[in-house]
Amino acid sequence: MAPSSRVKNNGTKAPTGTPRRRWVSLLTALTFGVLSVTGVLAFILPFSITIIGLHALMGFVFIGLIGLHLVNNHKLLTGYLRGPTLWATAAITVVLTALFWWQPGPVKTVLGWSGNLGPAMERFVMAADEMVFDYSPSPDYKLKLTVVTGPSYHVDPPPQVAIWLENQDGYHIKTLLEPGTGAAGHTPYWAFKLAGWERAKRAADEAEPEPIEIDAVSSPTPNASFDPADYILPEATGDSLPYHLLLEINQPGDGQPSLVHAVQIDNRLPRTFQLLELRGYPKRVDDEDDPEDPEEWALYFIDETFDSALDLIDSALLTIERGQ
Amino acid sequence: MNQDTKSSRRRFLQHSLMGTAGLGIGIASTSEVRARPVANAHEPEISEQFDVLVVGGGTAGAIAAIQAGRAGASVLIVERGAQLGGTTTTGGVAFPGLFDAWGKQIIAGIGWELVKESVELDDGNFPDFSRVPQRHWHNQVYTNQFLYAILAEEKCEQAGVRIAYHEFPQAVTETDDGWQVDCVGFGTKRRVHCRQIIDCTGGAEVVGLIGFERMREDETQPGSYLYMLGQAHEPGRNQIHRLYVHGADSTNSRTVTQANLTGRKSILEQVRSRGGRLMHLQPETGFRESYRIVGETIITVNDYRSGRKFEDAVANAFYPVDLHTRDGVRPEPLPRGHVPTIPLRALIPKGSRNLMVAGRSLSSDRLANSGLRVQAPCMAMGQAAAATAVLAVRANTTPLEVPLGDIHDLLREHGAIIPGEE
Repeated sequence: MAPSSRVKNNGTKAPTGTPRRRWVSLLTALTFGVLSVTGVLAFILPFSITIIGLHALMGFVFIGLIGLHLVNNHKLLTGYLRGPTLWATAAITVVLTALFWWQPGPVKTVLGWSGNLGPAMERFVMAADEMVFDYSPSPDYKLKLTVVTGPSYHVDPPPQVAIWLENQDGYHIKTLLEPGTGAAGHTPYWAFKLAGWERAKRAADEAEPEPIEIDAVSSPTPNASFDPADYILPEATGDSLPYHLLLEINQPGDGQPSLVHAVQIDNRLPRTFQLLELRGYPKRVDDEDDPEDPEEWALYFIDETFDSALDLIDSALLTIERGQ
Repeated sequence: MNQDTKSSRRRFLQHSLMGTAGLGIGIASTSEVRARPVANAHEPEISEQFDVLVVGGGTAGAIAAIQAGRAGASVLIVERGAQLGGTTTTGGVAFPGLFDAWGKQIIAGIGWELVKESVELDDGNFPDFSRVPQRHWHNQVYTNQFLYAILAEEKCEQAGVRIAYHEFPQAVTETDDGWQVDCVGFGTKRRVHCRQIIDCTGGAEVVGLIGFERMREDETQPGSYLYMLGQAHEPGRNQIHRLYVHGADSTNSRTVTQANLTGRKSILEQVRSRGGRLMHLQPETGFRESYRIVGETIITVNDYRSGRKFEDAVANAFYPVDLHTRDGVRPEPLPRGHVPTIPLRALIPKGSRNLMVAGRSLSSDRLANSGLRVQAPCMAMGQAAAATAVLAVRANTTPLEVPLGDIHDLLREHGAIIPGEE
């Protein structure tokens, strides 16, 4: 049905539709405009919490408006659900979803043009002689981990690798690289830390905030933040606390546990190059026969039972370039 | 009437009362013992002779006295307080460390023996030294401070060490064969003639009395007053509340008094403002820093962090560089695999004879001292200093001239770990 309009006595055109339809339609169109612009900006520009935040929150508003739009036009839209058009559009949607989900080469190429998604997507490259991990959450912070492989390293099957950040208390604060799908069992220490972080974060969200007390015995002021930005890109360098980057690596089939390498990063004493050190191997320390005892892993110093696993990595160099 | 009979009657009366009342009210039991008579207790002035005088019965001093006694020397230990153990007991930092580094035990001997027995008698737990600690203090050993103090006394007694509480040296004079030390306690003036002095006061007080050079910072690190508010204190099991006392200074009785008054006043304010019962309060602030000697060598932070193996090393140490400030502390861990060592010369005041220090007043720069001052290295220093002092007495020489190999042999004999032999 063609949109109708009425002519007022003074010659101007009166708005079409009911006031509710006019409100919903205009708001839908305008919020869609904001979503479109911020979506394009998020694709082109480096990660910005302002743009992503605006895009996400406006998205929620848009969802609500779409709901009202469906209510306003349900008779018309119900008519669309008949006939072959429905199946054709559904098929197109499924194909596009699958394509963007699995991201074949051409799609990755397009994503690589993004200033935001590109660095994240291409951050880990595994080759025969080295593994390189790039992480650049901001133009002012470029992290690169270059792992020179050792004689025990194989690409078929490749080693499972997890890279994450921990605060001083050993809480996981951000996973930078997850192991392959279904491979968490090869990197149990990372899996344990991730699970602990999720539990602690839930508890922190639910608990009443407590004043932070300085530790007068030996340890530093407790580090309560779970926000990676507080560590990686603190607002004031003097207030930042040291944190750790950890790498857990396991060569499937070598019959030895994974090994964990680590390095401390201190923004107060910024260093561009730092070598990771072998910290230990993970071992389960809870009572596995007791279902009430929560799973717990701890690191142990390397002993004489290790051989080829010690040759998986020759060196792991962390490079951090910080902006002024 | 013998003691058993008295005790039985008391128990009977208690049970009868409780049974009558039927309220389950706990009545504190009382048992009885009799103190041994003190010879010439009414004489205000006494004079005695010992091979080794240990001044200060704290973390290093108690171990030094036991070692010297076990090695056959006649030993007197004088302590200004009422118990042995110092920071571990009176200060309440009853989680001594670190005895391990990089998966291995690096400090053992008499200090470890005492800590181990305290934990075992208390049915406590030991950290697993093969486990990588998330934080350095995870491998501190939670110890029952009360048991520790009593066991230290028992070991002194078994080693033939005489203990003199509530006394402190007032004057030290060099003699032909050692020292004359005048100590004062309430109702007691004790003149001690000894061959060797081990100054374990934590502030090199004897070294200062004699007049050898000492060094200290304008502002010392804060002390910690330990207490427990609102929940039960379980000795040897868990952490305890801490109050930073800025300006805490253990230089003399006046500064110690001021630190204690300040700490306790603040804790009282907390009780009033926060509520909750005050369940535990240490008798004294735990001090971190005071005078250090200028020794025959000075351990620098570079020596410490690099794990320098001194040619005259007598003990290991391990702890981060741990300087406390107004804003707290950010420990700087030691590089992987590094284990600092303590040279004998850092325990000997420069130019001195028959005089050593053990504990946090060793010759070191401030940053090195921030890691060396903790309990396990202080215990190891106490044992090493005592072994050296005893050998010096035996050979009628001064500590600097005792052959290093002899010191190591004696330390090995008494369970210590020699640097490089971990």
